[in-house]
Amino acid sequence: MASIEVQGLTKRFGDVLAVDDLSFTAHEGTVTGFLGPNGAGKTTTLRIVLGLVRPSSGRALVNGRPYDELPDAMRVVGAVLESSGFHPARTARDHLRSIAMVDGIPVRRVDEVLETVGLAADARRRVGGYSMGMRQRLELARALLGDPEVLILDEPANGLDPQGIAWLRGFLRWYASLGRVVLISSHLLAEAAQTVDEVIVVNHGRMAGAGSLTELRARQGGSVRVRALDPDRLAGLLADAGFAVRRQGEEVVEATGTTAESVGRLMAEHGVVVLEMTTEGESLEELFFEMTAGRAPDGLVRAGPNGAAGAKAEVGTA
Amino acid sequence: MIRLVRAEVFKLRTVWSTWLMLGITALLVIFVTGLTASVSPDRRAVTSFPARGSAAWLDIVFSGMTVAVYLAIVLGAVMITGEHRHKTITPTFLAEPRRGRTVAAKLVVALGGGLVVAVVAGFVALGVGLVLVGVGVAPLGAVLTEYRHVWPGVAAACVLYGAYGVGLGALLKNQVVTIVVALVAIAIVEPIIGLVAPAAARWLPGSAAQALESLAANARSHAAFGGSGGVHLVVWWVGALLLVGYGVVLAALGSLTTLRADVT
Ligand SMILES: Nc1ncnc2c1ncn2[C@@H]1O[C@H](COP(=O)(O)OP(=O)(O)OP(=O)(O)O)[C@@H](O)[C@H]1O
Ligand SMILES: [Mg+2]
Repeated sequence: MASIEVQGLTKRFGDVLAVDDLSFTAHEGTVTGFLGPNGAGKTTTLRIVLGLVRPSSGRALVNGRPYDELPDAMRVVGAVLESSGFHPARTARDHLRSIAMVDGIPVRRVDEVLETVGLAADARRRVGGYSMGMRQRLELARALLGDPEVLILDEPANGLDPQGIAWLRGFLRWYASLGRVVLISSHLLAEAAQTVDEVIVVNHGRMAGAGSLTELRARQGGSVRVRALDPDRLAGLLADAGFAVRRQGEEVVEATGTTAESVGRLMAEHGVVVLEMTTEGESLEELFFEMTAGRAPDGLVRAGPNGAAGAKAEVGTA
Repeated sequence: MIRLVRAEVFKLRTVWSTWLMLGITALLVIFVTGLTASVSPDRRAVTSFPARGSAAWLDIVFSGMTVAVYLAIVLGAVMITGEHRHKTITPTFLAEPRRGRTVAAKLVVALGGGLVVAVVAGFVALGVGLVLVGVGVAPLGAVLTEYRHVWPGVAAACVLYGAYGVGLGALLKNQVVTIVVALVAIAIVEPIIGLVAPAAARWLPGSAAQALESLAANARSHAAFGGSGGVHLVVWWVGALLLVGYGVVLAALGSLTTLRADVT
């Protein structure tokens, strides 16, 4: 059974507690999203899993073994990392060949992965002249060299163009469907949501939430706004049904913690005339901020895209 | 292990800096041997300087090959510090997480790299020697004899210095620091120790290498190069063991300290 297991992992860099008693498992056949704001400890955790960083305590296992005890590691685990490097004077193909040799991976496979990531035409160019997105593709090609059953990717979408990102999504879904483990870190839940099945959210090195995407979606708060002929009666009905109700002006009733469907059924049952109905969902991103905001410094939350902190405040007062 | 060795050879072959270093080796050897050969002993105040064309004179000219050892050190040092510099150390350690094995492979390949440097230096020096024959300074037989006396020792020193460079690089990690430390140690620190404590200096890498360089020259004086003329050198095989020891001990120290460090 292919898997990644992290057990009670803690890592200190001097005074900085980068990872704090973190435990989770990534299973085969699923894409697991590893999410958290900047400095949450994602990269550190992944590097520990890959044997590059030594944990202060706890352990990380791949297929039940520490990384450095895997025979022919590249054939078991492929990894894309942020600060991995290239010799600028070496061609992409030679870069991959030099690494492939270590586990006896044939040159044929090098050309294959270059083809897979769309670098075949540039394979014999020096990496020094590569664009950021091309380097990211080359990293992915390197990760795929050993056709590994476990794929670990630290923000793989970095620098990729929209087509590249779309392609990567499809690729990772396909890869997991082969019964492999895919663990992918990201800052953005909404972005990852299109790819992942399972989510692990970390914040300040600690677990801030975990579960399947379906579970998360169920936890998303939302509200339904109804303009009705008899708003008083509607408000009473909704309150009786156990929803939090708020009046907005003369005609509008807002119910939170419910869905348009249940509100609609309720109104049909009691013959309430509806003039207008709108739903307002909490976005996954807002949920993500809720999960991480508890511990994140304010600055981090405000730094989110699209004035996300404002959106969150709205949800809070709704 | 053989795969790791092959990968390291491949890495060396596929960057131009390796070829640049070999080119510099050739140029330096031409420069030093050529300069030595063209300096007329008549114009020198040093009366002890051997007569032009004599065996001892040829020996000094060919000793110019010794500069190659610096390039062998740099080659070895770059093999490991370059990986830190360009952050290729991450994919390297991902491919072989048992870091000591990678360093061991680099040590082995650096021995070969040192030999290649020595071969380049040897060819160039031989060329200079043949020019000397051509212009009638010395007979071919004498040139070949002295060449055979000097080259094996220089080659042995280059080979072992390659590994020494890897060891020092494994310990110090930073490319510039490693190269500067290695060169300063040999060119400045050791000669000073040689002056103040010659008995201790003979055990240092530079003197060990000089002992090696006199391998086939049968204790002919090599005072003409290297600053530790006052040091009574150890026998060549002790010198070889010393240099191997320095390389291995430094690499082992590096593997236990710097190399165990987190790669972030
Ligand atoms: N080598 C190091 N030395 C000191 N502190 C470090 C080191 N590496 C990471 N840290 C610290 O550990 C914490 C976690 O960093 P990490 O890189 O794991 O976060 P991350 O979740 O990957 O963030 P990002 O989204 O920005 O990539 C940060 O506070 C960081 O400053
Ligand atoms: Mg990171």
